[in-house]
Amino acid sequence: MGVVIRSVGLSRPGRLAGHGARRLADAAARSCLDEAGIPADDVDLLVNAGVYRERGLGEPALAALIQEDVEANVGRPDRHDHGTFSFDIDNGACGVLTGVHVTHGLLLSGAIRRALVVASDSGPGPVHARWMPYDEGGGAVLLECDDGVAGFGDVKLATFPEYDALLQGYWTWEERSGHRPGRHDGRNRLVVEERSGFRARAAECAVETVGKMLADAGVTADEIDLLVATPEAEFGDPVAAGLGVPTARVMHLGEQTNRLHTAQPAAAVAAAMRTGRWDESRTVLFVSAGAGITIATALYRH
Amino acid sequence: MATVDRPWMAFEPNDDALPFRATMSSVGVKVPATRVTTAELMAGTRHRTGIELERLTGIHARHVAPDGEDSYTLAVGAARDCLSRTPYSGADLDMVITTSITKYRDGYTQRLEPPLSLAVKSAIGAPRATSFDLSNACAGMLTGVFVLNDFIRRGEIRRGLVVSGESISQLGRNAATQVRGVLSRQLASLTLGDAGAAVLVERAGPDSAGIAVAGFTTLSEHSRLCLGYPSHVGPGASMYTQARAIHRVAIDRAPALVQEALDVAGLGLDEIDYFIPHQTSARAIRTGVAEFAERLGVRPRHVVVNVEEYGNTSSTTHFVALDRYLREGRFRRGERALLLALASGLEIGVVIVTVDELVASWES
Repeated sequence: MGVVIRSVGLSRPGRLAGHGARRLADAAARSCLDEAGIPADDVDLLVNAGVYRERGLGEPALAALIQEDVEANVGRPDRHDHGTFSFDIDNGACGVLTGVHVTHGLLLSGAIRRALVVASDSGPGPVHARWMPYDEGGGAVLLECDDGVAGFGDVKLATFPEYDALLQGYWTWEERSGHRPGRHDGRNRLVVEERSGFRARAAECAVETVGKMLADAGVTADEIDLLVATPEAEFGDPVAAGLGVPTARVMHLGEQTNRLHTAQPAAAVAAAMRTGRWDESRTVLFVSAGAGITIATALYRH
Repeated sequence: MATVDRPWMAFEPNDDALPFRATMSSVGVKVPATRVTTAELMAGTRHRTGIELERLTGIHARHVAPDGEDSYTLAVGAARDCLSRTPYSGADLDMVITTSITKYRDGYTQRLEPPLSLAVKSAIGAPRATSFDLSNACAGMLTGVFVLNDFIRRGEIRRGLVVSGESISQLGRNAATQVRGVLSRQLASLTLGDAGAAVLVERAGPDSAGIAVAGFTTLSEHSRLCLGYPSHVGPGASMYTQARAIHRVAIDRAPALVQEALDVAGLGLDEIDYFIPHQTSARAIRTGVAEFAERLGVRPRHVVVNVEEYGNTSSTTHFVALDRYLREGRFRRGERALLLALASGLEIGVVIVTVDELVASWES
């Protein structure tokens, strides 16, 4: 039995999807469910893996709001039916693969039948952030069990904390000058800093982590038909080169999606499906690099 | 476990389907020494509120992190305390899940990435462990237990740590500048206290009863009843809560869900020795338990109420309460505890565990 991707959904800011991480996640989730022809009530687990959201909501899990918006089991609990459980995974740009890691086991054990992993990011607006290195966008992946051998293998996560300063995102209070004694006068600001060298270091870390994973799985580089490496820009090609995978097998993204943050793996799969490369590929290698440096990687077999 | 047709909550399947059972084998906390009484907190409100907070909530004091302490240090302190009563070091951990709502390091800087779990696992020497953060409001730690229970029962990992450091009393200080009366949506922020907590979850031995059930659901039509954001009045965050509405929904919906968890575990409420709800206020817990007793026909044997000295320590409350009862030697081998999560979302979760390994961790 394997855990397969049933469908993928994407959203970009605009008239239909609106703006802000929540609305973008809602739109991606709806698109994903529509693509699969699955009603929202059939989602047993909803995991949100986005990092940046309007107003910096910290409580509740954004996943709960998304669940309500897409109307997944929003009625009174019924003893003869099943509900939806929602929570957030926070693991930077490795969030989607971490979400796959967590839901993979729950699907295989039978605790749940379908899982929706959603990721979206948006800035809090110019008042609260001077600059965001990422484009607004959302993605969603619907996962379920398949009786065959297709689907995700184990997700491997590795961290390299010696590089934790290379990418950071945080909210911090900035006092304004001339404030009244005894009273705070300032504002919370979101700061996102990706320092030069992050992606090159991340590629080195990825090659090390993926190399071990492939060796353990008994898979050689020439068996990789498609490499979904995120962030794609300045990371995908160096990872391919380090592993010995031809760069033509990297899922290159256009300008529309290559500045997405946590939603980029979903965007890459959607692009591969759209161009036919997904179905043509017997073995797909996923590798994501996030702050930490954290590397997440998994094989997906058709 | 009894068979229940497609339960509402997400549960692991019955015993036969999975090779292993999981258990909680150690709990650790770090509670800052500094205390602020409710009288002191209410004396510092900007407006004359007339709120009798201690009478309303039963909270006499809460512990608050002094300068130099934050979510990270509380989490690391709790993790070390937890491991100190086990034969393990950080190097023996397969997974570290950090579940704090507050992720403050260096004052009130809320760290979004890298995840707080990365710093925690580095501090406790667990480089091999898979790590990530999980957010589920005050249900975070029990959600982490739910996730670890799955990994351990399938045999994918042997042991993992769920850890949270909540430096959350700052929300009360922000609220104190704004609350004007008992109907304020920031009233619940005044009940918050700081604490770190950690729980080691590992593969149970062949004779261990361990975790009988871990189940969760999200009643998301109530997802907007409690919202927390970076504050616009001071460092840290502010939280806006419709506390009465949450309480109403919780006591209306939770009894049937607890009954479902008991059915899945094949247990009756009369077989639960300690009922440990999320610690918000003594009055809310008392009225909630009365409703449980009426709906389920049985009153829990012991209801753990811990708020007088700690307040609401958000995601850590269940484990701060467990730790206190363990330190005081109140548990006996063979006794069962039911931990009930009620959190923003609205999240409802139930974990039922036999406390043998936890008691043993204090005997050695």
